Amino acid sequence: MARSRRRTALPAVLLVSLLATAACSAAGSSSRDGGVGDAGEPRSGGELNFALASDPVCVDPHQRATNDAIYPARQLVDSLTDQDPETGEIVPWLATAWEVDDEARTFTFTLRDDATFSDGTPVDAQAVKDTFDSVVALGAQAALGSGYLSGYAGTEVVDARTARVSFEAPNAQFLQATSTSALGILARSTTELPAEERCTGNVVGSGPFVLDEYTPNVSVVQSRRADYAWGSSLWRHQGPAYLERLTFTIIPESGVRTGALQSGQVDAIGGVAAQDEASLAAAGFTLASRPNPGLPFALTANLSRPLPADEAIRRAVSLAVDRQEVVDTVLSPSFTVATGSLAHTTATYTDLSELLPHDPDRAAALLDDAGWVPGPDGVRVRDGEELRLTAMWIPNFGPNENALQLIQQQLRAVGIDLRLRTVPLPELPAAQEEGDFDYFWGNTTRTDPDIMRTAFSADLRNIYRQPSGTPLQEALAAQNATTDPERRAATSAEAQRLLVEDGSTVPVFELTTVLGVADHVHDLDFEASSRIRLHDTWVS
Amino acid sequence: MNGVNGVTRVAGTAPHQAPSPPAVTPEAGRLAARLGYWLRRPGLVLSVLVVGAVLTAAILPELFTSRDPLTGVPAEKLRGPSAEHPFGTDQLGRDLFARTVHGAALSLRATSLAVAVGLVAGSAMGLLAGALGGRVDDVLMRCADVLLAIPALLLSLAIVTALGFGTTRVAIAVGVTSVAGFARVMRAEVLRVRGTVYVEAAHAAGARRHSVLLRHVLPNAAGPVLVFAAVEFGAVVLAVSALSFLGYGAEPPTPEWGSLVSEGRDYLAGAWWLTTFPGLTIAATVLAANRIARAWEGEER
Repeated sequence: MARSRRRTALPAVLLVSLLATAACSAAGSSSRDGGVGDAGEPRSGGELNFALASDPVCVDPHQRATNDAIYPARQLVDSLTDQDPETGEIVPWLATAWEVDDEARTFTFTLRDDATFSDGTPVDAQAVKDTFDSVVALGAQAALGSGYLSGYAGTEVVDARTARVSFEAPNAQFLQATSTSALGILARSTTELPAEERCTGNVVGSGPFVLDEYTPNVSVVQSRRADYAWGSSLWRHQGPAYLERLTFTIIPESGVRTGALQSGQVDAIGGVAAQDEASLAAAGFTLASRPNPGLPFALTANLSRPLPADEAIRRAVSLAVDRQEVVDTVLSPSFTVATGSLAHTTATYTDLSELLPHDPDRAAALLDDAGWVPGPDGVRVRDGEELRLTAMWIPNFGPNENALQLIQQQLRAVGIDLRLRTVPLPELPAAQEEGDFDYFWGNTTRTDPDIMRTAFSADLRNIYRQPSGTPLQEALAAQNATTDPERRAATSAEAQRLLVEDGSTVPVFELTTVLGVADHVHDLDFEASSRIRLHDTWVS
Repeated sequence: MNGVNGVTRVAGTAPHQAPSPPAVTPEAGRLAARLGYWLRRPGLVLSVLVVGAVLTAAILPELFTSRDPLTGVPAEKLRGPSAEHPFGTDQLGRDLFARTVHGAALSLRATSLAVAVGLVAGSAMGLLAGALGGRVDDVLMRCADVLLAIPALLLSLAIVTALGFGTTRVAIAVGVTSVAGFARVMRAEVLRVRGTVYVEAAHAAGARRHSVLLRHVLPNAAGPVLVFAAVEFGAVVLAVSALSFLGYGAEPPTPEWGSLVSEGRDYLAGAWWLTTFPGLTIAATVLAANRIARAWEGEER
């Protein structure tokens, strides 16, 4: 179905762009937001060196959730479906068609018959079953995928080209989830390996690029598959990728990353620092940016801890944060203040900015009423206990530390002492399980509102220790139990409101992906969740 | 050595032999000699001033600045050095001078602790090895060899990773890496002193072994070890700052010299002062400490 949509869409877009400019190949980039550059005919060959801002830690697309892990992983695997970045529509990729029953409990995918993994085995219904089974078996290690497959009853191999995935309860978000790399299809030679071995480089997918080598903290190297012919129906061209080789170099210091781009050592960089945006733009580099959907950067309370379990404290924290000041001070104009539990580009987003004012006086009044009186050094005290909260964070996004230091200063103004605790990236899952934090600082990117359930459901990983049986839990379950768009929007809006109303989460700003791209790189596209897609990218 | 010192002693401390200035008393002569010593070493004077200023900043930071090192004015972020902010302001509008001054306390506390760990543990090790000899000497000194075989930064990184983050742990980690050096110096001194006549005399007079060790050997062996501690001081400032730069020190927003340099490096292109001034402070402290240690070493010889 989407194939025909594309055939009709392309000439229309071509016409529009011809009217607008004389450039003949502008069609693709003008039809998709965030696409970079277009100059002449795409050229096959060459290589791209992309600088990542943090180590992927693991190259298995199922196991890591940071953007820097997904950038290289996304190129290795194909998904059953793809999502249109503009319309949010789910379109064919490995699956040419699908059927969803009325209850959203069984999903039947019809696969294309020509796709193969890079080890030569076919992408068939058995591979789909193996992939999903292994994600469920990974459990908490597949932080995102296991949540997308919650209530998984099994996959039935109807025939080689037909796979039927069924769930014990309705799972409306699943169709969108099949478009993410977290549920990308992997070969049996990968899915039967233990989790750790998959991390270090044993990843066999059917994507346009094949993993050559992963050296932790140094680089990820990939080369293209010459026989690739089953690209997503959204891509600009079919057949093998233009680029012969991809090198993802890991450069954690933003200043060094910017310097590497300016000196021509790399062709594109991720995580452009706010303070470098202006100088890169002035030097003739393209800044490609796209707001990330999903959960914005937020301080989210661990409800099992005594202090954040107190609603008065949570609401005081929310009132004390000056979101605009954070964006103005530590971020660039590419970023926006968070206005709800979800980023504004997420499906069913509801504007809740009236619930998120900056009002330190009210925060102070709330704490006064709760019995917290200012102590000698300005930190509030109750019964001899100081109002001290620990916020855990990971260095996966450059401005994190400065944003938190500013928030710390803002909370201090109302008498809350926020302590910061960094956790190295590889230790994050363990630290979240352990739960030794009052607040966790972070975001998660996804186009579907069900990301709230992934983060807050009492039945999943539940790192925030949400109690079960609450109205929030009902709303989270309800939005995933219906395929009716209106009902889904209503229940999702309810969950969004409940999350910010009692300060369970204190959204601060929305992530915007900002890439710095040299002018010889063309058609560096964003997929629906603002991760890079390099199949159509070419260098001149 | 005798010649030079002998000459100055004659000129300075024996006024009754010099007929021309009868007003010069022995005290004044000693004072003049001491003044002359300092005047001929302006670098040493400067070093003492620098270390003195840093020590004062560590104990009484309020003497130098009244600004809050933790709270800034975001609207005044990334301002260059000026009369109001001598070192400029950082990315959150905090006064960098105040942060550097207040950072001295943590950085020097860590340095002192690290030197103390090395001094106490290393001296004890060297004293035991030198005094007991035999098997004990072999075992202890082979341990010291193993410690020396591992590069200091690598060893301290490994220890701090095992211990966890924080200024105290960084100090302990750095201290452990300097244990072997102290042990070697102490052992050598103990061996030298043990062979001297007065120690033999003490033994012959029937003094107990441990009392000879503590009352005769240790005090006479301590001099070079203390000089070594002074030499180590500069190196340890650098090592502590290095670990703090790598993010093993205090959690933000607490300023430490190393973390100040580290925070500023992302802004190198636009705000040179963020790394330059804390970096110069570290460099000045290390150079000054080394200069003083060298002077002391000369005296000791």
